[in-house]
Amino acid sequence: MRRIDHRILVGFTLLVALIAILSYLTLFSGTVGLSWSDLSFVSHNDSVESRIFWEIRVPRLVAAVLSGISLAVAGLALQTLFRNPLAGPFVLGISSGASLGVALSLLAGFSFGHFGVLSGAAVGALAVTAIVMTVASRFENSTILLIVGLLLGYFIDALVSLLIMGSDSESLRVYVSWGMGSFGRLTFDGIWIYAVCTLVGVMLLVLSMRYLNAARMGDDFAKNLGVNVRQGRVLVLLGASLLAAASTAFCGPVAFVGIAVPHLAFMLFKTSNHRVLMPASALCGVVLCLAASQFSKIPLNAVLSLVGVPVVLWVIVRGGGIRK
Amino acid sequence: MIDSSKAVLLKCNDLVVGYGHEKALVASPVNFELNAGEVVALLGENGSGKSTFLKTLCGLLAPVAGTVALCDRPLWNSTDAWSARERAKFVTLVRMSGVSCDRMTVREFISLGRTPYAGLFDGRSKEDEGVVDEALALLELEKFSGRWLTELSDGERSRVYLAQAVAQQVKVLLLDEPNAFLDIPRSRKLFALLQKLAKERGMGILVSTHSVEYAEKYCDRIMVIEKGCVRCEMAKEARAKGLLDWTEE
Repeated sequence: MRRIDHRILVGFTLLVALIAILSYLTLFSGTVGLSWSDLSFVSHNDSVESRIFWEIRVPRLVAAVLSGISLAVAGLALQTLFRNPLAGPFVLGISSGASLGVALSLLAGFSFGHFGVLSGAAVGALAVTAIVMTVASRFENSTILLIVGLLLGYFIDALVSLLIMGSDSESLRVYVSWGMGSFGRLTFDGIWIYAVCTLVGVMLLVLSMRYLNAARMGDDFAKNLGVNVRQGRVLVLLGASLLAAASTAFCGPVAFVGIAVPHLAFMLFKTSNHRVLMPASALCGVVLCLAASQFSKIPLNAVLSLVGVPVVLWVIVRGGGIRK
Repeated sequence: MIDSSKAVLLKCNDLVVGYGHEKALVASPVNFELNAGEVVALLGENGSGKSTFLKTLCGLLAPVAGTVALCDRPLWNSTDAWSARERAKFVTLVRMSGVSCDRMTVREFISLGRTPYAGLFDGRSKEDEGVVDEALALLELEKFSGRWLTELSDGERSRVYLAQAVAQQVKVLLLDEPNAFLDIPRSRKLFALLQKLAKERGMGILVSTHSVEYAEKYCDRIMVIEKGCVRCEMAKEARAKGLLDWTEE
């Protein structure tokens, strides 16, 4: 036990240190270098440095941190719920729902109020979440839910294809750009909404800790341990959907983090206890997203896959002795 | 030593089990009591309904008809019924097959037995860790503690499953073919351990098995499910009363 505790301590310390370094780089380095010694721009004023700091760098840092937390934690919870290592926040069709909302806004000219595209993505994601929750309340079997989510995704993707067919090239360009993902779209106004959504989503998952730990061995096993499986499943779905919806709305469809990071966290911490794995996944997600945010000129999904895939593969191959 | 007086821990009245009336596996109503300090063997052919019967007794499956009560308190359909968590502190079902998590160590798995006692955030106290250590020692699993569950042989995994149930500290232990994957010495040890747990901890144990020899030697009573009917006799008298005739057909 002592060895495991030592591993956890070292792991968390390293991740926090990495986050601190990457946060510093996100805030102070870039095309316009901001000086750490002269922090006058930190106080709100009209200088170029101050505007770059408050309107670009801080929202980008917050977007990367919140996305890392939401996508990784949602991915972990869904992989546990479905007992499927390929599950992620996007298997339930939530990403497709958000894409439909954005497509309706950008390609079909629907207005979704003050936040425009963001509201469109949120409405689409939440609509799919509502359908998934309805299915979840009727069927006990998680596999059915997984199939319904995938089918829903295909159906919505077909609808988006129809919208794409009838759209002009400028709208299409904006839509494709949204689909590539970015941490640069979050505005200062949106930070609070994104933060509250993330907090509520994470809280719902933390409240399901007993379910998540027991559900790894199956629903019957969890029931035998006195866990309220139905309630746990609804809380996990609601929390993960909220996290995925918020992240998709503010940063676009970023699938890689949710699928890969829980595996990365497991390989680093060698435990499947969600009391460790959940914060570990959150921190790993933040590290990955902050690292990707350093390449702000390249589409986010491309950076995450180009940088993330080799790293995750390396960790998995190195930890491959775990289970033949 | 805990007093192992004949307190009734589990009682079923006119119990019919199965998946709906049309699919009732044990269609003839069962009246049965499981007492503290005794081990009862549950025998029957494959598909006779042993596992369904056990699932109904531990509250995982609702009865088709009749009632199941733990310490005179009903499991189902009553304002006084057991809550899921309280029930899990009193009765558990150990199964040797089913889902197996490939990312869990033996200790982590046995520690899941403490889930009914854990708080909202599923933490484990020092006392919980002590109970897990005790379960590991009882089943001679200390050296496997840090191994992955999927690296174990079927026999080793059977002992881990039983250790998890021991860590759950229940009064009624239901086991579904616990020696299916065990060699002869381990099977004998297992039945001796069940006898010890029943006597020393005042537990009531119902164990389904195909090992007639162990049932007769180590169990107090033998219960047989045959053609949808249940019969139960003292182990020493079971053969004489024809309860085991089906095994020689």
